[in-house]
Amino acid sequence: MSREQLAIVGNGMAAGRLVDDLLRRDALKRYAVSVFGEEPHGCYNRILLNRVLLGGAVDDITLKTAGWYADRGIALHAGTPVVRVSPAAHRLWTADGREFYFDKLVFATGSEPRVPRVDGLRKSDGTFKDGVAVYRTAADVGRMRAVARPDRPAVVVGGGLLGLEAAKGLADLGMHVTLLHLFDTLMNRQVDRTGGAMLRRAIEALGISVRTSATTKAVLGKTRAEGVALGGGDVLPADLVVFASGVRPRTELAKDADVPTNAGIQVNDRLETLVHGLFAVGECVEHDGRTYGTVQPVYEQCGVLADVLCDPATPSRYRGSKVHTRLKVAGVEVASLGDIDPRQADDEVIQVIEERRGVYRKLVIRDGRLAGAVLVGDASAAPGLIQRYDRGDPLPANRLDLFASVDRGSDLADGMVCHCHQVNEQQLAAAVRGGCRTLQDIAATTGAGTGCGSCRGKLASLLLKAAPSPVAAM
Amino acid sequence: MTAALPLPTTRTHCPYCAFQCGTVLGGDSPLSVTVAGDEAFPVNAGKLCIKGWSAGELLNTPDRLLTPLVRTGGALKPASWESALDLIADKFRQIQRDHGLDAVGLFGSGALTNEKAYLLGKFARVALRTPHVDYNGRYCMSSAAGAGNKAFGIDRGLPFPVSDIALSRTLLVAGSNPFDTLPPIAQWFERQRANGGRLIVIDPRRTPTARAADLHFANTPGSDLTLANSLMFVAVEERLLDAEFIRTRTAGFDAVRRTVLTYHPAETERLTGVPEAAVRQAARWLATGTPAMTLTGRGPEQQSKGVDTVLAFINLMLALGQVGKVGGGYGCLTGQGNGQGGREHGQKADQLPGYRLIENDAHREQVARVWGVDPASLPRKGHSAFELLDSLGQPDGIRGLLVMGSNVAVASPDAGRIIDRLKSLDFLAVCDPFVNETAELADVVLPVTQWAEEDGTLTNLEGRVIRRRRAFAPPPGVLSDLDILKELAGRLGCGDKFTFDSEEAVFDEFRQATAGGTADYSGITYARIDAEQGVFWPCPSEDHPGTPRLFAERFHHPDGKAKFHPVEHRPGGEEPDHEYPLYFTTGRYQEHYNSGAQTRRVSKLTGAKPAPRVQLHPELAARWGIESNSLVTVQSRRASVEFAADIWSGIRPDTLFAPFHWGGRAAANLLTQASLDPTSRMPEFKLAAVRIAAVRMAELV
Repeated sequence: MSREQLAIVGNGMAAGRLVDDLLRRDALKRYAVSVFGEEPHGCYNRILLNRVLLGGAVDDITLKTAGWYADRGIALHAGTPVVRVSPAAHRLWTADGREFYFDKLVFATGSEPRVPRVDGLRKSDGTFKDGVAVYRTAADVGRMRAVARPDRPAVVVGGGLLGLEAAKGLADLGMHVTLLHLFDTLMNRQVDRTGGAMLRRAIEALGISVRTSATTKAVLGKTRAEGVALGGGDVLPADLVVFASGVRPRTELAKDADVPTNAGIQVNDRLETLVHGLFAVGECVEHDGRTYGTVQPVYEQCGVLADVLCDPATPSRYRGSKVHTRLKVAGVEVASLGDIDPRQADDEVIQVIEERRGVYRKLVIRDGRLAGAVLVGDASAAPGLIQRYDRGDPLPANRLDLFASVDRGSDLADGMVCHCHQVNEQQLAAAVRGGCRTLQDIAATTGAGTGCGSCRGKLASLLLKAAPSPVAAM
Repeated sequence: MTAALPLPTTRTHCPYCAFQCGTVLGGDSPLSVTVAGDEAFPVNAGKLCIKGWSAGELLNTPDRLLTPLVRTGGALKPASWESALDLIADKFRQIQRDHGLDAVGLFGSGALTNEKAYLLGKFARVALRTPHVDYNGRYCMSSAAGAGNKAFGIDRGLPFPVSDIALSRTLLVAGSNPFDTLPPIAQWFERQRANGGRLIVIDPRRTPTARAADLHFANTPGSDLTLANSLMFVAVEERLLDAEFIRTRTAGFDAVRRTVLTYHPAETERLTGVPEAAVRQAARWLATGTPAMTLTGRGPEQQSKGVDTVLAFINLMLALGQVGKVGGGYGCLTGQGNGQGGREHGQKADQLPGYRLIENDAHREQVARVWGVDPASLPRKGHSAFELLDSLGQPDGIRGLLVMGSNVAVASPDAGRIIDRLKSLDFLAVCDPFVNETAELADVVLPVTQWAEEDGTLTNLEGRVIRRRRAFAPPPGVLSDLDILKELAGRLGCGDKFTFDSEEAVFDEFRQATAGGTADYSGITYARIDAEQGVFWPCPSEDHPGTPRLFAERFHHPDGKAKFHPVEHRPGGEEPDHEYPLYFTTGRYQEHYNSGAQTRRVSKLTGAKPAPRVQLHPELAARWGIESNSLVTVQSRRASVEFAADIWSGIRPDTLFAPFHWGGRAAANLLTQASLDPTSRMPEFKLAAVRIAAVRMAELV
C-alpha cells in the first residue's frame, strides 16, 4: 500500500512533539512524513534559549538533529520556509521555488513576537538596527549576543514571562538591564497587583531595574541602537534593546490559502481547520476562541492530532487546556494558574502575604474547588495546587492546609515504633516514666530496638523528648 | 536477643525475603525451636525482623499439610503419594496427547531454592517438553532485571555487597520501603547516616523509610520516570555530569541528553507533584555528595513502563559517573527470598541455566549437552507469568498446570480473573506446605518440605550464593519439591535424566550447566559457601574468589561499555478519571510477607496485623465522612473490596494504599490491573484507578 504524504509546516516544539506522537502510534506505516522548517537547525527547545544566550550552542538545546529525522525515514527540509499552500492542488511551495505534493497538511507555524509600534526600530532597508532584537529564535539570540557586553546598558521591553527571562539572561551576562513594562504590574496576565509588587522586588534584587507603566517611544541611534526614549520624555542609554512584549500566532500562510483564521488558525476539536485535510497545532491555533502560548497545551493538542491522523474514527478530542504558568528565572519562583482574580460574586479569595520572606500566595476558590492561584517567592505548593486544579478536587475545609509544607508532622497511624517486638509509643512513654533513660534501658525493659534495629533513631528522639538527661549512645 | 541457645544449633537463613538473614536455629525439635540472628553472617549481622524471629512457628502450624490431597467428589481428600503422583503424570500425559505438548504449564517461584528452580526448568524442557514455564519473579524484580540487561549487559540485583550502602554519601531510594520490607537493612542506612551521608526517598507515602530521609518526594503514582528524567535535566543544565566517565565507559548519552530537555523540573511538577526546588536540591546532592547510589524497589518497577523507569534512574547514575564506584551506582532491592537465583536458572520462559537465553542457539546447545538431550528437542520461549496464567483454560491455552511454591490466586494482578482461569483448567496440581488459596482450587495438592527441613542454596539480593541448611527432619508424609519432580520424571519416562540422591548432587549438576553463562556458578561448592559466608557469582572456577562488585573495570556488553537508553513518560494502563478518580497502589506490612501464605499462619504476626486496612488521607476521610476503622468499599473496574480505614496524613490525598498479603474478599489484587511492561512482562501492580463506593460504620465488637 502506498503511503499518504503528510506535510508538517513548521519545525518548532509543536512539530517535534507531533512527530514523536506519530512515531509512538507507528504512523510511518500510513504516512510519508515531511517536515518543513524555516530555521536551519533540527527541532530545538525554545524554552531553553537562555542557555544559548549564556553562551551555549544551539546543539545543547536541540531535541532532534537532522540525523534523527534521517534515521527514522522522515524528510526534513530545514532552512526551507514554505511560502504558499494550495489546498485545492494539494501542493505547497518553498522559498527556494520547489513544489511538494501532500495528502494532508499540518500547520505548526507557531507564533512570532509582537513588536510595538516604535520609532527608529529599523534601518532604511527595513531590517532591525544593530542592537535591536526580539527574543524568539536561536538567530535572535545570536543578534543579542553580538552586542551584549558586560557593564553595558540594555533595555528589555516587556515584563511578561519572556521579558523577565530575557532580562535575567542579559543580567547574567553582566549587562545593566532596565526592564520596561507597559502595565503597572509585572506578568500582569499571571499575577495580581500584590503579587506583582513582590515579584518586582525579587527582580530588582537580581540587579535589574524595573520601570512599570512605561511606554517605549523610540529607539535612538542611527544604524545601531544607542538608547530608548520613553513616553514621559526620559531617555535610557542602551546598546541592546530587546522586544519581548508578547507573541501572535502566525496565520499568514493559512490565511493566504483561504483557511479561516481569527486570532489564530481556527480548528475544531479534532485540530482540523475548516478546510478538509488541513490541520493545525500549537501556538498558531485558535481553538474555542482561545490561543495558547505555553508548551503544555501544545503537547495536549499534539496527542489528539496524532490520534486523529492515525485513526480517523478515533474518539479522541481536544477540549481546551487548563493553563499553568511557571516562571523559569533562577531565584524567583512564580506560579500561576486559572483565574488570578475573583470573577463571581461568591468566589472565595485566600491571600497570605509574608512581607519579610517576600512570599505571596493567593487562592481563588469557586464552589469549593480551586479556580485559580498565584504564588510568588515560594512556589513549593504549586505541584499540589495544579494537580487539584486539573482534577477539580474539592478542597480541604481549612484552605491553608494547601500551603502546608510537605513534611507537616504526623506519625505512623498505629503509633507502633518497634515492629519487631510490637512496642508502641504509649508503652515507650510508660517505660520512660518508669525510669528508662538510655537505649539500653529501653531495650532491657521493652525489647524495643533489639530486633532489626530500624527504629533506633525514632527511639532516641522519643527519649530526647521525654528524658531529662542526655541519651547515651548504644 | 542473645539468650543462651541449647546445642546443637543449625546455621541457616530466614524463610522469607531476599535479605536472607542468617539465623541460628536451636532446640531439639520443631516444637522447641528457637530462632536467633546469626551475628557472624555479614548481611544482617545478627539482626532479625519480627517475621524472622517468629518463623519457628511455621514449623508447628496446626494446619500443616501432611498428606497428599486429591479432589474426589468435589472435595480435596487425603490420598497416597503413589496415587497422587500417578494421577498428575497420567493427566499431564493425557492432556499433552490430546492437545499437544504446549497444553501443560509449570509455575515456579522466587521462593524456591536454586536447586528446585533449576530442576523445575529442566523438568519442563526435558520431561514435559513444554515451553510454558514461568514464575512469580515476573511479579517481583523483572523490570529491574530487564533494565540491568539493557544498560549493563547483566542483571544482578545489587552489583555490590549490601554493606556498600554505608559508604554512599548520597543514597536515593525510589519506590521502596526497606525499613518495613527488609528491616535489618536499616543498620546499613544508620551507618550511612553516621558517616555523614544523605538519604533521598521517592514514595507516594511517607513510609518509615521516607521519614528517615533528608528529602522525601511524595510523587504522583506512575511519575517516577519523569522525576528521574527531571533530575537528569538538572544534571545537564547545571553541568553536574561526569564527562570523562560518559566518554570512556558508556555509549549513547547524546540521545538521553536531548530527550530530557523537555523534562524541565518546573514543567514536570504538574505530573510528578514534586516542586522544582526539591528536584534541583536532590540533583545537586547526588552529583556532589559522592559516591552516590540509587536503589529501586517495586514502586517504579511494577509499572507498565517499569523497565524504562528503572533505565531512567540508571541513566542518571551513569551520567553522574557513579556506577562501578565503591559506595555508588545502581541496585535493585529484590523482594523474594530467592528472587535473584530464581531468575537465573531456567524456570523463566525465556531462560536456561546460567542466565542463558532459550532463543540463543549456542546457549541451547551448551545446556542440551549437559542434559544429554538433542538441542532441537528443547522447546522455544513460552508465555510469561501473567500471560501464562491468563491463557489457562482458554482456546489453545494451557489445560494442565503444576504450581510450585507460589500462591498465584492471591499474588496475581486482577486476581478475580486469574482465579476464574485457574478454575477453568482441566487439571491443577499444587505443591505447598499449606493449603493456600491456590491449593484450594487444585485437583491435587502435594505437601512439601519447608525451609528448616531441607538443604539447598539461595542467591540473596546481593548475588551472594548462600546455604539453606536442614535443622530438623521433615514431618512424616512430606516430600521435597525435588523428590516430586524426580518421581514425576520417572513416571513420564525420563527418570534417567533425574538421578540425583541429594540437594548437593542437583547443585553439582546445575553448576556445570551454568559454566560459561552470565550467571556462572561453576566454581561454587557447598563447602566453599560454608567456609566463605557465601560466594558471589560470577564464579567461573573453584579457585576464583567470586565477584562481590561488578562494573569496576567494565560492563558486560561486548564492547565493555554501559548503554544509555533514552526513555520517555507514558501513562499507565489505567489512570484516574472522572469515574474512578483515585490512584490505588499496593505494598507490604512489616509483619507479613507476599501472599501471606506463611505469615498469616504465625500468631505473632496475625496478632500484630490481623487484617488489611486501606490507608487514606484525612482530607479524603473528611470528604467521605470516614472515621478510623470505618468500612470502606474500594472499587475498581474489576472488583470491589471492603477494607477497614486507616486514616493517615502520610499518604497523598489522591491515593489509596492497601497491603496485598490477604486472599479471598480482602485481596488487594482483586483491584489491581494487568497492563504489562513490553520488555519484562511485569504487571502494573502499583497503578490502578479506583473510587470509594460506599462507607459504613465499623461493626461494634
